[in-house]
Amino acid sequence: MNTNTYIVGRGFLYWLDARAKLLLIVLLSVMVFFPSHYLALSLLFLLIFIIVWYSVGFKQSLRPLRSLLFIIVVMALFIPLTQRGGEPLWAVKGTVLVTREGVAHFATLALRLLIVTYSCTLYIWSTPMAAINLALRWYGLSYKGALTVTLAFRFIPFIGETFVMIRDSHSLRSASDSSQKERLRLGDLVPTVTSALVFALKAIPHLATTLEHRGFGSTLKRSSYKRLEAKGGLFIHFLLSVIILLATFVLLNSI
Amino acid sequence: MNEKERPKSAALSIALMSVLTAVVVVFTIFPRIPTPIHGYINLSDVIITFSAYLFGPWVAAVAGGLGTGLADIIGGFPQWAPFSFLIHGLQGIMIALIARIGLKKGVPGDAKIYMQILGGVVGMVIMAGGYYVVGGFLYGFRAALVEIPLNLIQSGVGVILGIVVSKSVLKAYPAVRSLAL
Repeated sequence: MNTNTYIVGRGFLYWLDARAKLLLIVLLSVMVFFPSHYLALSLLFLLIFIIVWYSVGFKQSLRPLRSLLFIIVVMALFIPLTQRGGEPLWAVKGTVLVTREGVAHFATLALRLLIVTYSCTLYIWSTPMAAINLALRWYGLSYKGALTVTLAFRFIPFIGETFVMIRDSHSLRSASDSSQKERLRLGDLVPTVTSALVFALKAIPHLATTLEHRGFGSTLKRSSYKRLEAKGGLFIHFLLSVIILLATFVLLNSI
Repeated sequence: MNEKERPKSAALSIALMSVLTAVVVVFTIFPRIPTPIHGYINLSDVIITFSAYLFGPWVAAVAGGLGTGLADIIGGFPQWAPFSFLIHGLQGIMIALIARIGLKKGVPGDAKIYMQILGGVVGMVIMAGGYYVVGGFLYGFRAALVEIPLNLIQSGVGVILGIVVSKSVLKAYPAVRSLAL
């Protein structure tokens, strides 16, 4: 089971410090919810898409779009049809079905969703998970919180593999067609989940003992061996993030 | 380590939360149960309910919130991660707190079955309602209505299986009680 979200790529965002980038992504995601014209949002989305394309390649840059396709189709069906006040664009036998305002509302919501999704996705693609954890530590995440995340990542592949083994063992006990192999059959659900849980729970005392042996819970301050290095100085990275945010603000308010 | 010292062990609580977080991630990503409306539901709610019934509100909140948030990040939906953290965290807290009302001794899973179901139903409302509100802001309140039935099915399955699985785990591995904080 692969838990790595980092994708090798190129460009400015790969150079930018994880802390400054996190601030940029969070504030950008908030900023798109301020009232702005859908043309400005379209321009911003186009810009972000080009950055993603340049950073990770065209094929990879379409992945978030594919994951959002279903909900965008639902939005396209619901929003213009339910918001029918304003200038009519399409009417059947005198009944207004689509208005300019309805389409504009749909475009605004869809673009907001796309911008937020692409920004967040680009952050996790361009930042290794260890750097994200350190950035969150810098913003105040406790040592225990960071340790919990790190240990969880250590255990995900182990529990994932165990679960697959248990699921396959249960499926071998009864004849089944190959199309159902990857799915969990309802009859096997409770025994499979119970077995996997018991296996995982048995690891807890061992992990707790290991942590205590390594001095966890000691009153002495913990040593830290990893730190984030911002090339050119952290101030420059934050300054660049603020400049990008200001440019985005100007773009969103200029149309 | 004796029984009286155990609740104070920070190492045990970190180990418990880490392993259960990993379990939530695995059960969010791996098992897929097909639904009639051509989709899949995951089993994250089963583990959140299980954690709430056996380990109480804080373990359920951390495992549920962190686990589903990490699963969103790994699964390619990072925009949902902060909201999943809050919604499932609150879901875990409320399931455990309601289930253990009136319980003097033991884990919330020892409570009367109707209290466990009530806790689960409140958890279902929090989960479906939370995602509806967030979905409303992200892609409009009308479009977000589409997700309510699927979320209710997923959390409903989670409550039923969570109760069954917590009973079967208690039977299969009675030592689990000693891990409860």
